[in-house]
Amino acid sequence: MTLTRRLFAALAATTLLAAPALATELQAVRDAGTIRVGMLVDFPPFGIQDASGTPDGYDADVAKALAEHLGVEAQIVPVTGPNRIPYLLSGQVDVLVASLGITAERAERVDFSIPYAGIAIGVYGGTDVAVAGPEDLDGKSIAVARASTQDTGVTEVAPEGTEIRRFDDDATAVQALMSGQVQTIGLSNVVFSQISGVAGDRFDKKFDLSSQVQGIAVAPDSDALLEEINAFVTAAREDGRLDTIHEKWLGEPLPDFVKTDQ
Amino acid sequence: MYRFNFQPVFDNLDMLAHGAWLTVQLSSLAMAIGLVVSVLGAVAKTSGIKPLRWIVDAYVEVIRNTPFLIQIFFIFFGLPALGISMSHNTAALVALVVNVGAYGTEIIRAGIESIPQGQIEAGRALALSPVQIFRHVVLKPALRNIYPSLTSQFIYLMLTSSVVSVISATDLAAAGADLNARTFASFEIYLVLTVLYFLLALGFSTLFATLRRVFFDYPAGR
Amino acid sequence: MIREFSSADVLFILMAIRWTLILSLIAFAGGAVGGMALALARTSQARALRWISIAFIQVFQGTPLLMQLFLVYFGLAVLGLPIDPLLAAAVALTLHASAFLGEIWRGAIQAVPQGQSEAATALALSYGDRMRHVVLPQAMRTATAPTVGFLVQLIKGTSLASIIGFTELTRAGQIVNNATFQPFLVFGTVAVFYFILCWPLSLLARRMEARMRLAVTR
Repeated sequence: MTLTRRLFAALAATTLLAAPALATELQAVRDAGTIRVGMLVDFPPFGIQDASGTPDGYDADVAKALAEHLGVEAQIVPVTGPNRIPYLLSGQVDVLVASLGITAERAERVDFSIPYAGIAIGVYGGTDVAVAGPEDLDGKSIAVARASTQDTGVTEVAPEGTEIRRFDDDATAVQALMSGQVQTIGLSNVVFSQISGVAGDRFDKKFDLSSQVQGIAVAPDSDALLEEINAFVTAAREDGRLDTIHEKWLGEPLPDFVKTDQ
Repeated sequence: MYRFNFQPVFDNLDMLAHGAWLTVQLSSLAMAIGLVVSVLGAVAKTSGIKPLRWIVDAYVEVIRNTPFLIQIFFIFFGLPALGISMSHNTAALVALVVNVGAYGTEIIRAGIESIPQGQIEAGRALALSPVQIFRHVVLKPALRNIYPSLTSQFIYLMLTSSVVSVISATDLAAAGADLNARTFASFEIYLVLTVLYFLLALGFSTLFATLRRVFFDYPAGR
Repeated sequence: MIREFSSADVLFILMAIRWTLILSLIAFAGGAVGGMALALARTSQARALRWISIAFIQVFQGTPLLMQLFLVYFGLAVLGLPIDPLLAAAVALTLHASAFLGEIWRGAIQAVPQGQSEAATALALSYGDRMRHVVLPQAMRTATAPTVGFLVQLIKGTSLASIIGFTELTRAGQIVNNATFQPFLVFGTVAVFYFILCWPLSLLARRMEARMRLAVTR
């Protein structure tokens, strides 16, 4: 078929143009005087937009502290869950402080710093839904945000008969839970603590999936920059700066499982 | 320079093929049920029973003047507040049927109104029953007259169905989104998805052309 | 974090209408230019031009707007341009509108009796003058109603920009819903706003169409 042949010709052409993903040089950031930080703005309390539309939250404060450490200005670029890695790899941001959970899969595409934050992920559901462990999910529906850490976690442990429903983001998955469209949800403790405020005691935790540490991500081969970021995270963990920011946004100091993780 | 990588797409062609099959099923079903809804709507609109006409008018206007995305959000997330709860794939089907039904109603109504009164009278003169008159003298020629608009509306429906993954319904676009989430080969995946949708549209239009020859291939007789 | 659906939320949604309108206007203006070019190419004597415009229209009418949005969105990165939802949505909707307007206007141009164009040629009018003074003014009469009708489709189409993260009317509704968990109320409100935007245009299109049909039968 000529179509296939043409397609392969096009493929061959694009392979010739192939070049590695864009690395970020530390010196280039210093020269520019600004660091472009990709951040989620729809992931409270890590990333939010304040009333005037400015990005704020735990990640924003960490980004500012990082910029200060580097002696540059932080220019925050809002990204979304699905597009944050493409943003980084196409060189449109220098780093991601975007609540990006450290996973082996992602580590193949980007380089992570040591953890600067962490969340615990679990399965939650209606109090009338009897689920004590992964095996009880059989025959039940569970909502997750597509491509999120909870998606991976749930997909891993859920038995064959589980109906995993993937939504674009946590917020929509929570909508599905709240409107009774799914029985359970894979969610972080952080987001759950926010919905339990309005939902009262309608939902409770069924079981833990994992605790997830988050790293600052840079494009591959940005070694000097990564080293400087690691120096920053180590210092900020030790001198209590991260504790202060965590206290401000999550009401408690940085959890131990984050602090001890290297 | 961007590095193209079609490998993830080729490695997962079966996943996309399955998604395409789901899209074919979902949209064919929506077209079939949508056709019934459209005929009923058109009959109600041309019936002369005023309250019935008002209801259908309101339905048609509301659907035609709001985006499908809002309609599907409303059906999936909003209706449970009224105790009407559907599974994701059912909600997707219902949203598509409700949507295409409104456009189809208008199209078929125009077709019915295009039938000359004399033709109906001729049917009466031949002592056909009202049902026979409706089926053979009104509906069939009406459908024939508006066949091109109706079928292009159906193809548009198939294209619109790419939105249903927002409520986690499973179709071609959802398969693509899942693949994108795993491999991040975004541009490549959406390029292939677009090509697949284009092929589906071609397939449906070929099918409709064939159906037209089967059902409506007789002299126009005007 | 979760609060009641308040008047402030309605205001927030209301304010987002301006982005729906801006996006619609950009796409309509861009689509008018692109559509005119396509319609002229489609009705021209040059076979290559006709083919290009046929292919363009086929592709953009035969693929989902959502896929077009995603392709442009991620395609910006391929071209080394910044990923910007507004830019991506504006470009994708402009291409989309070009295809549809091109097809509508092609029909209108071809509906002008051939004799008109031939008479103008006999009067030694150039292609530009023939189009400007003879064909297009007549084609415009047939084209206006479906063009207004398409504007409704375009406004509704901008709602898909929410999926690539552009905050217009639909996305504003989602944001409010995520904070209030009142989907029935929130999406109902958003639907009412769309209806208020689109319905008058639909009525206008229908009135123009009826008037035209009357003019033709007379």
